[in-house]
Amino acid sequence: MKKTLIITLIPFLLLFSTVSSRLTATTVEEEKIDLQVREIAKTLRCTICQNESIWESQAELAHQMRALVKERLLKGESPEEIRAYFLSRYGDYILLAPQKSGLNWLLWAGPFVLLAAGGLFLYRTLSGWVARDGAEKQDVPPPIDDRLRKRIEAELHSRED
Amino acid sequence: MKTWHFILVLAVAGLLTLFYKGLWGDPRAIPTVLIGTQAPMISGPEVRTGETISTDRFHGKVILLNFWASWCLECRTEHENLLAINRRFSQHPDFVMLGINYQDREKDALEYLQVYGSNFDHVRDIKGAISIDYGVYGVPETFVIDQQGIIRYKYVGPLVGAVYSNLTETILQPLLERRPSPSS
Repeated sequence: MKKTLIITLIPFLLLFSTVSSRLTATTVEEEKIDLQVREIAKTLRCTICQNESIWESQAELAHQMRALVKERLLKGESPEEIRAYFLSRYGDYILLAPQKSGLNWLLWAGPFVLLAAGGLFLYRTLSGWVARDGAEKQDVPPPIDDRLRKRIEAELHSRED
Repeated sequence: MKTWHFILVLAVAGLLTLFYKGLWGDPRAIPTVLIGTQAPMISGPEVRTGETISTDRFHGKVILLNFWASWCLECRTEHENLLAINRRFSQHPDFVMLGINYQDREKDALEYLQVYGSNFDHVRDIKGAISIDYGVYGVPETFVIDQQGIIRYKYVGPLVGAVYSNLTETILQPLLERRPSPSS
């Protein structure tokens, strides 16, 4: 009886394992696409939002852009091709991080150049102060000798008396 | 004055000029990369009839595209002018005008057209693909495509006042008469 039950169940178990493995494969594939969508969507600006990517934004346009990214990925386009498409439609503004080319280098290098210039300015100013302070110290008369000290002390004592 | 003092003053003056330009610039003047490029093909259902409209069949014509939505207040401001543009140029065999209904509900779009009237066709942009293809930021936005299918004009905002006159007199009229636009 037990043996018959196991034999009857085997085809069902096989069918279940095949279906579940297919489902798992589809889910993994879907997850991979969704990860790619997220990576691309994080780099594209929602054009009607305040400095938000289309991944973070809940706007309808951002939702449609995400759907378009997924559609293009499923068609076999690479992330670079998809970014290039959005760039061709909206220009540099669509990219959250400006491209490292042409005048955009000013944006990338600007903060570091300003930091270096500020550091140089600070260094020169502080050096100037230190040099002036040193020069002032040199103007100080030499330390008094014992004879002079004794004379000063004597005069102070005489005043106290 | 030391050289580095001069450089510092120059850099600060440059930054202030940039800030000044940013403060007083026209926020609607978003630079578009589409001017002078081939216009993407449009295909979609007409709002009222459901019949598929494709710009393929308008090859060789000047096309005025207007992106609008029923929830957009500025679209109502320019609506009369849109009707006037079509009344004025529709007799010209080379002129076509199309509305693109942007992020809207079908019922609301239909109601809008019934209330405000329309004398040209409107395509529903169901998945937003048309708007993204045209790099649309919001509504209203208007494009003019020439006989060769090249985008010649884009404006973000309502077509009223000087913008309306500029569009009709210096863009559409010269294009339809096949003479160079004074602004180009």
